[in-house]
Amino acid sequence: MNAFRAHYFDGQSSRLHEVEVRRLDGGRIRIVGVGVDREEAAATLRLTPRLARTLRTIELADGARLMASHDDRLDQWFPGHDRLQRLVDRFERHAQAVAASIVVCLVIGLATFVWGVPWLSDRIAAEVPKAVEASLGDQVLGQLDRYLGFDASKLDGTRQAELGGRFDRLVAGLSDATGYRVVFRNAEGVGPNALAVPGGIVVVTDQLVDLLGDDREFDAVVAHEIGHQQHRHALRQTLRSSFVLVIAALFTGDVSSASTIVVAVPTFLLQSHYSRGFEQEADRFAFDTLAAQRISPAWFASAMRRLDAHYDSDGDDDAGVAYLSSHPRSADRIAAAEASGATFIAAHPELLRETPGYDPCAAEGLCPDEDACADDACIDPDEAEEYEDEPAAADDGS
Amino acid sequence: MHEDVIAALPPLPQPPLPPVPSIRPPRPPQAVEYPFLFDGSAAEYFRIWIVNLALSILSLGLFSAWAKVRSERYFYGNTRLAGVPFEYLARPLPILKGRIIAVTLFAAYVIAGQYSIGLQLGLALLIAVLTPWLIVRGTAFRARYSSWRGLNFRFVPDYGEAYIRFLVLGIPLILTLGILYPWIKGKQKQFMVENHRFGGSWFRFLLRPGQFYPPYLIAWGVISAWMFLMSFLMIGIIMAGVAVGGESRGAPPAWLMLGLPILMYSGYFIVLAFLAAAIANLTYNHVELDGRRFRSTLKGRRLLWIYFSNTIAILASAGLLIPWAKVRLARYRAECLSVFAFDDFNGMRAERGAEVDATAAEVDGLFDIDIGL
Repeated sequence: MNAFRAHYFDGQSSRLHEVEVRRLDGGRIRIVGVGVDREEAAATLRLTPRLARTLRTIELADGARLMASHDDRLDQWFPGHDRLQRLVDRFERHAQAVAASIVVCLVIGLATFVWGVPWLSDRIAAEVPKAVEASLGDQVLGQLDRYLGFDASKLDGTRQAELGGRFDRLVAGLSDATGYRVVFRNAEGVGPNALAVPGGIVVVTDQLVDLLGDDREFDAVVAHEIGHQQHRHALRQTLRSSFVLVIAALFTGDVSSASTIVVAVPTFLLQSHYSRGFEQEADRFAFDTLAAQRISPAWFASAMRRLDAHYDSDGDDDAGVAYLSSHPRSADRIAAAEASGATFIAAHPELLRETPGYDPCAAEGLCPDEDACADDACIDPDEAEEYEDEPAAADDGS
Repeated sequence: MHEDVIAALPPLPQPPLPPVPSIRPPRPPQAVEYPFLFDGSAAEYFRIWIVNLALSILSLGLFSAWAKVRSERYFYGNTRLAGVPFEYLARPLPILKGRIIAVTLFAAYVIAGQYSIGLQLGLALLIAVLTPWLIVRGTAFRARYSSWRGLNFRFVPDYGEAYIRFLVLGIPLILTLGILYPWIKGKQKQFMVENHRFGGSWFRFLLRPGQFYPPYLIAWGVISAWMFLMSFLMIGIIMAGVAVGGESRGAPPAWLMLGLPILMYSGYFIVLAFLAAAIANLTYNHVELDGRRFRSTLKGRRLLWIYFSNTIAILASAGLLIPWAKVRLARYRAECLSVFAFDDFNGMRAERGAEVDATAAEVDGLFDIDIGL
């Protein structure tokens, strides 16, 4: 068998010729059919790379072409120049290579989103000049006023100055805190909240100031936001989301026409994944900063409980509120703050009285009524630290 | 007459011939209907897609140009008309060059948006000014490397006309608050069709641009009614919340905050699917090539279902069902398209076209400027 059948098109007309292609001696081939009879050197012909069951095409130098079903002889007759696509074709037909490709795509895809995107965005964030970040922050601040109904604070000036002083004290020890400032805003629609805006601005709502019972809770919340600033979380988060958007858009295309949804869902999932890591980082920063100011990190737990209690009583759908809130509440975060508070007291036992919910009567027997200590409620101060872990104490204090 | 066509086709062993074309009397008398046939399989394309994707990733994107060529060749090579498949002839290297430029532009655009709205607006403006040029170049590239029966398609570049229809007409569009939109869309389709050639023959467009109004007017009407209903609903719920809660600060329940936009968006999505089907049918049904006519019978309902289930499947499979989604969309599109011809396609002549570089086609693809025929 030294011949195969093919369709022949001469490149000048659309006429389909049924031909037979025969191999002659000396590397020549002959194409014969009704109205066609030509002889060519096989080396001048170009065979397209094999691709699944699609027809193979053999291009002649003058633009004519032959189309034929795949046949292993084709590759022997017309040695293709395209070694790369030959290899790829072999992979495509090879079950193990396909399986390996699936693994490669899934693993690298996952790794890209979990490590690659954060790594690259953080490299870029490190290169962004402070001035650029600050101007971005001013825009965000303007948007809060416009779209979330933020307006001028109703707190009186002395209160603002007092809290501002506490903010400055927290920031004072930091190495790179130029431009850090706290801004108070009245936000009826949003409620108690605090946000870190790119460029060093910490926005605190009047509603949060009203909610918090102790200024050390304010310190705790603000220290957390300063943590976001120090790690430039707002900028890094923006860059990460952009990358996810770009990558996802490259792969979906026009197959679903709902590429917005196809892109938005993974973006949202990844965003919450990334932001969870950022929250933990900011929490750790807050604990350290508070400890350095000789304030127990347990005040952070106390502030969190107040926010929880507020949002729990406010909305009937917890999941939804947690989603809308910029600080998803979590028992883990409160527990971490309590643990950090316990460590702090172990190192500074003299500050035990300065912990949230500290009850001098129960702990030291310094009760207004002497008799209250007669029963087992009186506890030696040395053992008191283990009671730090008792969360119920926090709310009873008010 | 069609029996002669079939007789002329040699009995190649593997690819099955299309079903015998049926004769439909009401269309142009004696014309034979030749259906488009898409013969690709999801399983087969999955292998090609995943292997090429893996290689593209491992080569940091460099292989993606080869991946594109193989993917296009698969879809072209499995689309047949009168038994003969289409061919995609572009080579990977020019595509790679185009991709590098496109990715750079896109990255600049996205990153610019993070730093300065002004810079991004500037870039957007630049892209807008380049758009007509990109459309012409992209279409010309695709046409030049599309072939059937040994003859090439060609898109004859007419930059002046492209700038009028894709940029300058934007000014009256804004001045008339968008009322001219369907007419401008019609002008654009007309331009895209009439500048295409197959071999020595010109495509002709038998529709006046004004005839694009009915589908758009219906779509606008439905969307407006839907928006009206939704905002009515939303205001009603907020009012009820205020009345019951007695507290202006109380946020509406979260399911509502998420549910209403989803409902709003899905209404939009449904209308878009129906509109896409109507516009494609209207366009194809008025294209003529030397007396041959096209017929497109896309159904909005089917298209909507395909788009919707594709979206769900892609999300649920972490993207692994993208090949399946692409294959079924291609199959449905081919199923709904046919050509009515008096001849057997054997008498058409060639015309030589010039080389067009791939940059414009790639930049277009990335910025999702989808034009179609």
